Amino acid sequence: MLLFCPFYHFFWKMKCFSRYLPYIFRPPNTILSSSCHAEADIISTVEFNHTGELLATGDKGGRVVIFQREQESKHQPHRRGEYNVYSTFQSHEPEFDYLKSLEIEEKINKIRWLPQHNAAYFLLSTNDKTVKLWKVSERDKRPEGYNLKDEDGRLRDPSMITTLRVPVLRPMDLMVEATPRRVFANAHTYHINSISVNSDYETYMSADDLRINLWNFEITNQSFNIVDIKPANMEELTEVITAAEFHPHHCNTFVYSSSKGTIRLCDMRASALCDRHAKFFEEPEDPSNRSFFSEIISSISDVKFSHSGRYIMTRDYLTVKVWDLNMENRPIETYQVHDYLRSKLCSLYENDCIFDKFECVWNGSDSVIMTGSYNNFFRMFDRNTKRDVTLEASRENSKPRAILKPRKVCVGGKRRKDEISVDSLDFSKKILHTAWHPSENIIAVAATNNLYIFQDKVN
Amino acid sequence: MEFKLEAHRIVSISLGKIYSARGQRGGLKLHKNLLVSLVLRSARQVYLSEPCCPPEPPAAPRAPPEEPPPPPCAAAAAWAPGEPPPPLPRDEAPRGGPRRPGADCESPRARRCCCGGCCCEAGGGGAAPPLPCCSRKRGAGERGQAGSPVKKPRREAEAPPPPPPGEQEDMETGNVASLISIFGSSFSGLLGKEPPRRRRAPRDGGEAAAPAEAAAAEPGQICCDEPVLRTLNPWSTAIVAF
Repeated sequence: MLLFCPFYHFFWKMKCFSRYLPYIFRPPNTILSSSCHAEADIISTVEFNHTGELLATGDKGGRVVIFQREQESKHQPHRRGEYNVYSTFQSHEPEFDYLKSLEIEEKINKIRWLPQHNAAYFLLSTNDKTVKLWKVSERDKRPEGYNLKDEDGRLRDPSMITTLRVPVLRPMDLMVEATPRRVFANAHTYHINSISVNSDYETYMSADDLRINLWNFEITNQSFNIVDIKPANMEELTEVITAAEFHPHHCNTFVYSSSKGTIRLCDMRASALCDRHAKFFEEPEDPSNRSFFSEIISSISDVKFSHSGRYIMTRDYLTVKVWDLNMENRPIETYQVHDYLRSKLCSLYENDCIFDKFECVWNGSDSVIMTGSYNNFFRMFDRNTKRDVTLEASRENSKPRAILKPRKVCVGGKRRKDEISVDSLDFSKKILHTAWHPSENIIAVAATNNLYIFQDKVN
Repeated sequence: MEFKLEAHRIVSISLGKIYSARGQRGGLKLHKNLLVSLVLRSARQVYLSEPCCPPEPPAAPRAPPEEPPPPPCAAAAAWAPGEPPPPLPRDEAPRGGPRRPGADCESPRARRCCCGGCCCEAGGGGAAPPLPCCSRKRGAGERGQAGSPVKKPRREAEAPPPPPPGEQEDMETGNVASLISIFGSSFSGLLGKEPPRRRRAPRDGGEAAAPAEAAAAEPGQICCDEPVLRTLNPWSTAIVAF
């Protein structure tokens, strides 16, 4: 069988983590079928840290699992750069808001890492209502030889001590502990959909359907409201905030996207409340594409700044668009993710798939963008060569260390041997969350309850 | 015609979604329900812009909210903001026995306003009469209760009458507006008072009492008792559900 590589000449080797047993990596032939996974194991967010050394995932059960990349080793060169479980902790628990008689889901909506300043790692994780700052630190030594207490911790009688000794640090088995350092609660009436760490590393923002709040990491009992689009009369509500992000370099600038397919760029220097945007990005609607569902499919599900800060990328139901910050009236690039679904919007509305919120990511150099689709397919678009590829995250079709084969969806007419027809697509297998290593070609793809990590094979 | 059927189908699906959303874990999703309401409005617009509404089958069973609702032109009237509940006899008029089966949009019918609550007599003639009663937007609580005095004695199986043609465009904003206000009320923190009201046992002859309760309810609250809920048509049920 001829295996051919994706368009930009990279091979991929695969590692898959089943959410059944987050501590253990099981080789494919023993992993249980993903059709009988627990709801709580569904991965809801994936994020690399700033160096790419760590990869965090959050799931519907409120847990966070952090993977760490193996150090290079001369003895096991083939294991270079593989990710293994580093830490697992319960970030959020289900809560009940007694005042509103509402249950608050523990599902982790977003994780964002803070840059590293010392040996410990810090990340923000959020559910619908509460943001938490977690500290993940290692302990591989413990002090021994105290004077006032013995090894079991029992206090010694000071009068019995005849000699003094200096406690020494002795190695112990590595222990990774996660502790909640801050809890930022009670600031959101609606469901939090985004968090974003500011480039000043002192503040961050959290966005819900109608408001965006600015927090200082040190202060948990208050936040500044910087955007409020709630109308005085809720009957006049026409759009909600769907995603928000700070500019990667300018700490005064952020963007937020709306359910109407628009993006607003705001400058916090202009006023305390950034209801008036500095820039407004909107593409005029194509009247030939108008349907009952035009509004739904134009709703933006994710917005991401490029690493350079020059561009923003938005994902709506059928497309990914790249916008230049200097041009507001239309995107500079539009990529069709799965346009063959355009004729199936009614069915997708019926089965709720049309409401799926796909995310999108840039690669480290902003030359390639990636987003997910159905049937465990994910798509990559090379902005320079304009080539695109569809790959599949599936254990059945790839073994570890196998090269990924490009997939193709047959939209009509004669279906070729390797193609899959639109009607055969499995809409329950959706890839909503993906992440790209900040500097290398390593990607993490969340397929329901499974996490796939693909790396390029360096020859 | 296909557009009409398609629109009808979409309307029924949308209503089903709205209704099933009330039991969702984690509370109402504002974004999703906003989108559903927009689809609902689009489908309704298409349906109404078609030349004529199909005649209503006489024995059309009043479906539970999950099933297709009555023709949107009837249901659409339900969305309009309207007056406080009119006196009972007038409310009764369109609801069942007295209603002519197979009525079409052209006939002058009492038109239900505001989710099956008040019914405004459309007046005679095929021309679309302006409905002064629909100009005032009502709070969700009132709206919800407005259905109850009417619905209690009526069987669920009976479909509401279609309204006259040339439906007022001012009801269009009412359509979405009422839905949004319902979602808004769900989020405004006023639901704290809602559950006790909901669970309160239905009173005998509670129809008269219900509007009074509605009036007493804070704006944005929706109060509806279970038995009443069952007798409501799908449109009003969906709205009252919140």
